[in-house]
Amino acid sequence: MNRAFEFKQCVTLLKATGKKAKSLRELREALASVGPRSLFHHTYQYLLKGHVLEYTNDFAHWAGESLEERALAEHLSNIDPYDFPGIEALRAELVRQVDAYLEQFPEPRDAMPGDEFFFNETVTLVFPAGVRARNLAEFLMAIKYVDASCLYYHYHDARQRLGGTDDFSTWFEEALEKTDLAQRVRAIDPFMHSLEGIRERIAGAVEEEVRRDMEAAGVSP
Amino acid sequence: MIDTYKGIAPKGDLALLQKMGAAFQGRSFLHINSTKEGGGVAEILHRMIPILRDLGIDARWEVIKGDGAFYDTTKKIHNALQGNEERFTAEMWNHHAEVNRQNAEKLDLDADAVLIHDPQPAPLIEFRKQGVWIWRCHIDVSNPRPDAWNAVKRYSERYDAAVFSVARFARSMGIDEYIIPPSIDPVSDKNRDLSADEIDATAAKYHIPRDRPMLLQVSRFDVFKDPIGVIKAYRMVKKYNDCVLVLAGSPATDDPEGEVVLADVREYAAGDPDIIILLLPPFSDKDINALQRLATVVLQKSLKEGFGLTVSEAMWKEKPVLGGAVGGIPTQIMHGVTGFLVHSPEGAAFRIRQLLNNPEMARRMGERGREYVRNNFLITRQVRDYLSIWYAAEHKGRSVLEL
Repeated sequence: MNRAFEFKQCVTLLKATGKKAKSLRELREALASVGPRSLFHHTYQYLLKGHVLEYTNDFAHWAGESLEERALAEHLSNIDPYDFPGIEALRAELVRQVDAYLEQFPEPRDAMPGDEFFFNETVTLVFPAGVRARNLAEFLMAIKYVDASCLYYHYHDARQRLGGTDDFSTWFEEALEKTDLAQRVRAIDPFMHSLEGIRERIAGAVEEEVRRDMEAAGVSP
Repeated sequence: MIDTYKGIAPKGDLALLQKMGAAFQGRSFLHINSTKEGGGVAEILHRMIPILRDLGIDARWEVIKGDGAFYDTTKKIHNALQGNEERFTAEMWNHHAEVNRQNAEKLDLDADAVLIHDPQPAPLIEFRKQGVWIWRCHIDVSNPRPDAWNAVKRYSERYDAAVFSVARFARSMGIDEYIIPPSIDPVSDKNRDLSADEIDATAAKYHIPRDRPMLLQVSRFDVFKDPIGVIKAYRMVKKYNDCVLVLAGSPATDDPEGEVVLADVREYAAGDPDIIILLLPPFSDKDINALQRLATVVLQKSLKEGFGLTVSEAMWKEKPVLGGAVGGIPTQIMHGVTGFLVHSPEGAAFRIRQLLNNPEMARRMGERGREYVRNNFLITRQVRDYLSIWYAAEHKGRSVLEL
């Protein structure tokens, strides 16, 4: 029998680290020294905000909106945290981008008082959502209904836990032997959609798969 | 009690509240502040304690008592922590500590978790018996007078954790510092759904014209709320779009500065029947609710602000909101999505014209605003977060906790 998929949801509590930066140079120093949890929060967890996706991480957002350094914001936005084997490699790339920019444009203006970059991190509480799916049809019902934080936990947070993949596609592949579906879900660009956008795309891919299965079984959808 | 929020608060929050309730079943959670009535802290505690009890938690709320000299000092501490210059003597600090000692003798401080609100009762930490102690700072201490901050810090850094409303309000103290915004109660008179009759009654009572778009700012008559800037913006708009401006605040009976601002506003507005200045008596929550629902665009054009929960109140009523980019307002307004952040009367005027000329955009912003508030600024989220901090404090040092 297939292993059922247990949906979990999570709550993230924001914590201040006490570090802040008012200029690009201060940001660079803090980027090099701040704890990994804070870097994780400002990059991987950017999507938790449910924002419009003009930028893809808080550093890019701050460079664009508070320092008005648009080109730097573009460079930073183009960094995909999932391209790196770990947080330290991501840190090195962030620092490298800022250094390169500072070499070209040495004196960007400071942020206005109160608009400094505040380094935060999070504590995440994970708990069962009370929803489980034993097959793809049940999964389809569930994915449309579960809390958005389930999407964050299983699609984004999982990449940290599982090393670049997500809980959904792992379950499709390992429990249901649906390799194609797993690949289609894995191919969704996590930084180009809000959590609701991710939900829509996963539901779309699963719906298509269920339809195919029904057709193959000779049942009209 | 918790059932009241079904269908209003996010399902995930309600589910977690039930889980937390089960985890903390029968355990005690004590809140202490310095006033039973008046102010946002008391307002939220009145609503929060019954929710906690309904979850099976033994929640209590105690209030410290002091004499006139104590409250004079705590008022000065409050002002100095917000950056105003105040003079303190050793005698004042001693009295502050002594009043807290007297309160500690009378109050039952024995609880599994204790949440101390603001600086007035902060010295109670000296009389801690057991449990997790959390200091909740509701004020902006980003730029305090050093003497006042150092005096308060002696106490605050002895807590297990501190809580601030906005990241920029926090100060490094060497303890866990959480960022938890305040919240609105969607079932209170200020925010619950109103019938058409209730809204009509408020419109009739205050003679609000219904034939033109209405701009509204609800706030004290205080220079930092920039009522004159709001009138300037309205006048710029008026050249293009006929509209009405309502400035609703409370009478400034015990606030001499407020009286001066109100007089200035009245003089500046003189001769324009489309500027309606309302002085609402205490307990006007339902009328404020109705005014917010009558408005086409809501402003909170503050120059300095604490959190500015009137922004969330208006967003909950699906109104597009224009706010100054200060205090907690940028936390609530996603620029261009749920409203606009503005930096001048000209900016406000331009955005108002945009919204009046694009009702579809205004409607979309309003809808997104309500959902944003539902997910971030309802009381259920705040209760969830307080309980989560308690849980995290009992499992210190871990960044992922499985319930």
